[in-house]
Amino acid sequence: MSRPAPSPHLLRYRTLNTARRGPWFGSVAIARSSLQLLAGRKMFWTLYIFSLLIFLLYFFGQYLQVFLEQRVSESLVRTGGVFGRTIRPDFFVNMLRDTLRMNGTADTYGDFMWTEGYIVMVLLAFAGSAIVGNDFRFNSLPFYLSKPIGRRHYLVGKALAIAVLVNAMTTIPGLCLYVEYGFIDTWEYYKNSTRLLFGILAYGAALTITLTLLLLVTATWLRRTVPLIMVWTAAFVMSRLVQRWLVDGLGLSPRWRLLDIWNDMYLFGQWCFGTNHLLLRPGNQIQPEYREATAVIVVVCLVCVWYLSRRVRAVEVVQ
Amino acid sequence: MDFLIDLDRIGRTFGTHVALRDVTLRLRPGRIGLLGPNGAGKSTLLKLLMGLISPTSGSGRVLEHVISPNGAGEGDYELRRLIGFMPEADALVPGLRGVDYVSLAGELYGLPRKQAIRRAHEVLTYLGLEEARYRRLEEYSTGMKQRLKLAQTLVHDPPVLLLDEPTSGLDPASRDAMLRLLLELGRDFGKSLIVSTHLLADVEAVCEQVVILMNGEVRGQGSVDELCKRRHDRFILKIQGEIEAYKLALEAKAVRVLSYNAKGDFRVSVAEGWKISEFFGLAPNTGSVVRAVLPDDETLEEMFLRTANNA
Repeated sequence: MSRPAPSPHLLRYRTLNTARRGPWFGSVAIARSSLQLLAGRKMFWTLYIFSLLIFLLYFFGQYLQVFLEQRVSESLVRTGGVFGRTIRPDFFVNMLRDTLRMNGTADTYGDFMWTEGYIVMVLLAFAGSAIVGNDFRFNSLPFYLSKPIGRRHYLVGKALAIAVLVNAMTTIPGLCLYVEYGFIDTWEYYKNSTRLLFGILAYGAALTITLTLLLLVTATWLRRTVPLIMVWTAAFVMSRLVQRWLVDGLGLSPRWRLLDIWNDMYLFGQWCFGTNHLLLRPGNQIQPEYREATAVIVVVCLVCVWYLSRRVRAVEVVQ
Repeated sequence: MDFLIDLDRIGRTFGTHVALRDVTLRLRPGRIGLLGPNGAGKSTLLKLLMGLISPTSGSGRVLEHVISPNGAGEGDYELRRLIGFMPEADALVPGLRGVDYVSLAGELYGLPRKQAIRRAHEVLTYLGLEEARYRRLEEYSTGMKQRLKLAQTLVHDPPVLLLDEPTSGLDPASRDAMLRLLLELGRDFGKSLIVSTHLLADVEAVCEQVVILMNGEVRGQGSVDELCKRRHDRFILKIQGEIEAYKLALEAKAVRVLSYNAKGDFRVSVAEGWKISEFFGLAPNTGSVVRAVLPDDETLEEMFLRTANNA
């Protein structure tokens, strides 16, 4: 039985009667579409897999440390020739606990987020042009700003996308490690280490806010991927080399380490974890005060906000 | 709603630069053309109409939304929700697919996500982009990009479409297709169109009303037909015999001779109420014969240029 041909009126314009939502929903839509843009790139998934590998290293490292410490009572374990004829569990316990610090302490989470930071930096350098830079480069901003949203909604949407990326690679895995350690240790761990939980959240927030603002600024300024990577590298790698050369090489004041924004965020994180300033690792590097590092982060963020507001305000919707 | 736009002595300055000066406009819903050379104040007027900026003086209403120096400026989201804006620039988001781009526009206009996606498919189908909707925007041709921009303008079914140079960069066939679409949207679906352009032929093809802006002031306003009445009636005459005597006779009757040559080809401009038979009446007394009388009315473009020169 043949179906009747569809009426051409089915393709005609149809009116719409739907309640409209507020401009903040627009921010969510902007964030979602930005992440969608990123998810279509192989580079993103490659870097994200690296980040997951670091997480898995810590996840199983913690598990192994607790397992070996609590469950293996023998001083020697025969492995059937895999690692030689026998292994000494206490060697692995010491390595995991004292050297790699995979023992559910402030150092664990601090080191994990520091290490993830390298991947985050590279990923953001690539993501910057896709998420923000292209809007300026290809003149997409009038598309967003001609809609019933303000410039702040646009910026919040983009910031939200970057924040999701940063948190997906630092704070959320950090929280997973925290929860995991509580499960494999004792329930007392949660009760006794609320400061660590606060530290993870606060360090994650500092990373999120600072990196988001820095990326928005560099991406709106440079727009293209290669210059963005170069400036990003200069900001996070060169500054580290310079501060080390100035402080460790020339013997200048440790305050010169404040040039390294990543180190500043690490110091802020350690402050939130409650780590004694004198016990900061590596022990041979004198670090600036926590307060000073925090002040630098705040100043950097304020400068970024000021630049962004000027830069986005300058965009003409109707040209 | 009596008036789509009702502005009373609206002014807008940027520092010392006066972008709009005492603009008074009363336009009913319909298809409106906004004409003016660069720097005439079109962009500033569009921003005002979209609620992106507030005026510095005067007051008015756009779609019943009050515009005043104390207005919400860029924060007038309710007004922008009623307007679909098609920018002149590409304003595409590279990497997105057509359907994602239009549904994102729907969400930005406040539609729930599911509704925005469904609506994006509908609008793209309506505009003949159904087969290209899953392509990335970089792969679209110029004509398709213009239609896509129109799709994102229509996705939330606004009563007013604000179109900035809608046929910019299109080849003649695509331009005709776009103009047909716009005409259909206005005529058959009751959309009010505000077309900002410097292509007067576009205005003639689509619009019922026209506003001419010059140096931040309104130089002409009314229906296209009304404005066309202001056109100078012109004729091409082909005369045989005493050319000079016929010219003098024309001038004696207050007919402006725009040009003529020894072959007897005249271009003349006549005053209102002139009858064609009067050309023939002058001929016997001057020893000439009128071989042809052809209408040569001023185009809207020429009228626009004349208005600009007068300004």
